[in-house]
Amino acid sequence: MSLSFRSRVPVFDANVGIGNRHDRRSPVDSPGQLPEEMSRHGVDRALVYAVQGEWISPMQGNDSLAVWTEENEALVPQFVAGCDSGSLRQLCNFHRNGVVSSVRLHNTEECRLPFVSWLYGDLLAWLSAEGIPLWISLVDTPPAEIVDTLGGYPDLTVVLVGAHYTHSMMIRPMMRVLPNAFLELSRYENICGIEKLVREFGAGRLLYGSFFPRYAMGPMLFALHHLEISDGDLRLICAANLERVLYD
Amino acid sequence: MIDGREVIDFHGHVGRWDIFEMSDDTDEILHAMDAVGIDRCCLFNIFHPDGATGNDQTAAFVSRYPERFIGFAYVSPLMSEFMVPELERAIDELGFLAIKIYPPYSRWQLNDPVWNPVYQFADDRGLAIISHTGAEETCWPVYVEDIAGCYPNANFVIAHAGNSEPYRSQAIRAAQRFSNVYVETCSTFREPGVIERLVAEAGADRVIFGSDVPLMDPRTQLGKIITARIGDCEKRLVLGENAKRLLRL
Repeated sequence: MSLSFRSRVPVFDANVGIGNRHDRRSPVDSPGQLPEEMSRHGVDRALVYAVQGEWISPMQGNDSLAVWTEENEALVPQFVAGCDSGSLRQLCNFHRNGVVSSVRLHNTEECRLPFVSWLYGDLLAWLSAEGIPLWISLVDTPPAEIVDTLGGYPDLTVVLVGAHYTHSMMIRPMMRVLPNAFLELSRYENICGIEKLVREFGAGRLLYGSFFPRYAMGPMLFALHHLEISDGDLRLICAANLERVLYD
Repeated sequence: MIDGREVIDFHGHVGRWDIFEMSDDTDEILHAMDAVGIDRCCLFNIFHPDGATGNDQTAAFVSRYPERFIGFAYVSPLMSEFMVPELERAIDELGFLAIKIYPPYSRWQLNDPVWNPVYQFADDRGLAIISHTGAEETCWPVYVEDIAGCYPNANFVIAHAGNSEPYRSQAIRAAQRFSNVYVETCSTFREPGVIERLVAEAGADRVIFGSDVPLMDPRTQLGKIITARIGDCEKRLVLGENAKRLLRL
């Protein structure tokens, strides 16, 4: 063991927020700083969304993404969706330009909106029809609403983000009842929990994400490199699964 | 061992917490420790207010691998009549090396006189006390400033370093004001720059690595230290040297 760490496999971070939130300054609030932070840990690419979109304005947040992603091929844009028709129209326009490989649900709890089909049904139907995967934060949307609502969209691929030890009792049942769900691992710190998930579901349904800047980029990546899993499984979790979700 | 130095985890639990799937499975704990070079882990059981029930479980757990685990004594003012006698038993008979308190499982703030017998015991013996801290009203780190100066022979370890703001800043200020105050690193709040700030503002000789095992996997929590932008000398202090000094190992 050494006092330093850098990934030894290719890494594609599935969960990075960029820009400043209305109430919180990012530690990397200019486009040049994020690649430096990624490089320090050996992160080659990152799926990035604008944190403005989580709560204040998905549409303005999405418009601001290009400043970051057009300058840097390592940053893949992820567009945030609200429940209004303007948000869906914007996503359709971006999709016509061929730049939408994934969509992220906004923070429904902070917006005080239930994640139900009579509010989000048009979005979910469109994503299902276009084969676009949806990222949903377990921190920001109640798990019961996620399971109940997604049951009506069996073809939709979803990535559940930010599972935590407080979700312990729910994660495996959610993975069973949502067979198209992938689990992003940024906050999943249950002891030997990821090794158990690999044994039960296979590494193919797990994604490395940092949840940066809510969470530091390095610790979970370090932990993944010290699990009792095969090198092939590590490569799936760190990059290959995300590539499959976005591009297959 | 990491880089040839012993690594000590200052914050671990004995007992079960079923809704979080936390169980003190020795094999799992050792598996996770061994994977990243953690040599020893300090353990306590906070689920029994009489102290003795949990301390006996801790002693039994430690006895299976005494070279890997260190017991800390837990007592609670919910059953205040047992506090000092149980501390004497746990330290003198069970061989525990420090004290754990958990104010959220009582109704008393960390600076309430009800805790004074515990602090006096630690002061008399020159022991460390690790207390849970965070947003809960009973355990804001600012309260440590009211007690640390009164018990100069005791050492106060602020678990989770306050967890989040404004409590993290309170923890740092307490460490800056009192030489017998330390901040411990385990936390589910893993924002960028926290370890760097603790080291820069509290001092590398006052920051102690902890993981909260088995509530959390120590590999991620250790990763916070390894991936932080701090020097190797500072990492060695945080990962073990400070704990060894505090526990007189």
